[in-house]
Amino acid sequence: MAEPGRRTARAAFRDWRGRRPFWGGLLLALGGAEILLTEKASLKVVMHIGMQGLAGYLLPALMLLLGLLVLFNPAQRLFYSIVGVLVSLGSWLTSNLGGFFVGLLLGVVGSCLAFGWLPDQEARVSRRQRRRERAGA
Amino acid sequence: MASSPDLSSTDPNPAPEPAGGVRRGRVRYRRAAVLAVPATLVAAGLAILTAEGALGVQFAISGMPFTVTATELNGTGFEQFGGLDNMADGSPNAGDTGGQVLVVTSAIKSATLTKLCQSVDLGGTNLLIKAGQGRTKVTATDLTTDSTELSGNASFDHIEIGNDASTLNKANARGPIGVFSQQADTVHIANLRQTNYATTAGVFKLPGLKLGFSDSGC
Repeated sequence: MAEPGRRTARAAFRDWRGRRPFWGGLLLALGGAEILLTEKASLKVVMHIGMQGLAGYLLPALMLLLGLLVLFNPAQRLFYSIVGVLVSLGSWLTSNLGGFFVGLLLGVVGSCLAFGWLPDQEARVSRRQRRRERAGA
Repeated sequence: MASSPDLSSTDPNPAPEPAGGVRRGRVRYRRAAVLAVPATLVAAGLAILTAEGALGVQFAISGMPFTVTATELNGTGFEQFGGLDNMADGSPNAGDTGGQVLVVTSAIKSATLTKLCQSVDLGGTNLLIKAGQGRTKVTATDLTTDSTELSGNASFDHIEIGNDASTLNKANARGPIGVFSQQADTVHIANLRQTNYATTAGVFKLPGLKLGFSDSGC
């Protein structure tokens, strides 16, 4: 075990990831970004349409925001992930079929991972190791 | 936000555990499934409802040229005027155009399309969306498209040609003041083929939706 002062940035990042649903938040944020990229319609035209056109931008922007919130405020992850999954599903209707399905899939998978994440778990035991333990017992 | 308390950081110096490594957070798959199963069901339900044409979906695409074809288009409330589309600064699609594309904006208040096919060139492969191949037709409301090319056999009812684009009132779009425009009560176009730069806030109902990749476009 390295001393705290001499830990590499890599190890610090690993610790940081271990304290939050990292992949869940990242996938949700990426899903929102992907949908936003597919619909860079000129704002001028969106203004013609009003609220209805705005929803197409609001939902992916919310996904991006919720993904970042999961990363930086993991204590509230249940609320963020439930809203995240609803917003991701809603983007099918408002935003190019959920960024042609890719962003919707990322958002739903990310939300579910964030929902299922629990802090302070036993280290994962590989299947081979478990089998060996059972054989030994 | 970043200063919010991290979980399990109550102990400032967690002692390394002798065996099994440090305790970290991780995903419990059974718990994730509690959310994943209903989400999958809802997603499947949305896709099925869309494919049956019971649910409308909204499109807003821009920056990439894409092609729309249909064997027949019938619409009420039609407007058309010229304009300039600006791309995002430094867009890779700008080329030598200076980031501006001269487009024809067409707005149709409500339209029905037969055998709609829409393709986006992603470089090497095409994303294809097909709908309305069967008996039920595609319907769209407040369809606004910016096209660079438009072809087909068109006929109009009660057409007014030469209006100022800012005075149009048959559909929901307004053009810039002092620009040539035309509008009509109804429009009928056979063998429609459009190269578009933007479709905005068109709510489509897509019965018989098929989404896929293909080597050739529409």
